[in-house]
Amino acid sequence: MQGEILFLCITVFTAGFSIALGVMFPAMGQGKACSQALESIARQPEAAGPISRTLFVGLAMLESLAIYVLVVSFILLFANPLLKYVFK
Amino acid sequence: MEEMLNPHVLFVLFGIPVTKTVVSTWVVMGFLVLFSFLLTRKMRLVPTRMQNILELFVEAILHLIEDMSPGNGRKFLPLVGTLALFIGTSDVAGLVPGLKPPTSDFNTTLALALIIFFAVPFYGIKVRGWKNYLKSYFSPSPILAPFHIISEITRTFSLALRLFGNIMGEEIIIAILFLLSPLFLPLPMMLFSIFTGIIQAYIFTVLSVVYLSAAVESSGH
Repeated sequence: MQGEILFLCITVFTAGFSIALGVMFPAMGQGKACSQALESIARQPEAAGPISRTLFVGLAMLESLAIYVLVVSFILLFANPLLKYVFK
Repeated sequence: MEEMLNPHVLFVLFGIPVTKTVVSTWVVMGFLVLFSFLLTRKMRLVPTRMQNILELFVEAILHLIEDMSPGNGRKFLPLVGTLALFIGTSDVAGLVPGLKPPTSDFNTTLALALIIFFAVPFYGIKVRGWKNYLKSYFSPSPILAPFHIISEITRTFSLALRLFGNIMGEEIIIAILFLLSPLFLPLPMMLFSIFTGIIQAYIFTVLSVVYLSAAVESSGH
């Protein structure tokens, strides 16, 4: 395969693969956080306010890890800075 | 799609290139200023319905700050309230035809995060004084000082990247749905994007309050 086609293939494959793999682990972490929060609300319903606020903050922190992967994937696909070196 | 990540320059004003993001920021700013101006004419002690809206918002932010760091509510209210209001409005501004949400540009979110980056030492020095604040960098052990600095820089980037990634990701998904079926398919995603936009504004605000109150608290109390 020519160099440019190989580069494009590997870039697209990496972008797709990285987003697929990179949202699995934050999703598992978020599920665990949610289940713990639900358990503690069930145990103490009057503390539902602070618990759900803390839950939201924790979910956003985990979400941001998936967002990092998404941004790298977008950059690879739509604003690839290395293209100008391959296509002279 | 490229235009979303690097907006084109629309015109040049006094030698400064103006992009679609800047025009949207001006519209959001103009809307907020006009809205607040019109609703605070003839303020009374017992509020009218319109004044109540603004009071509701101000009290909500004040309670949010007081929950996280009791006693610092009034001090942080102008900065944190402005951030919350601006980010909330600009996330939703994507629904207005012709506007691009300003926070979907990494430059805007980085600027907002840099405001927090500079506000943290500002409030720390203002409340605790130079020596105490600098001593807090070395506080559990002097070896931790570089990690303290690194953590300040990375949390600034993480604030900026979280907001940018969320809003830009929604924009791109809506654009892709437009390609598939233009009239009805993007609607659920647009509804969802209002929801996540408000949540991201809330998260940015909450994290700013956490960072600010960590700089201002003194371990003696």
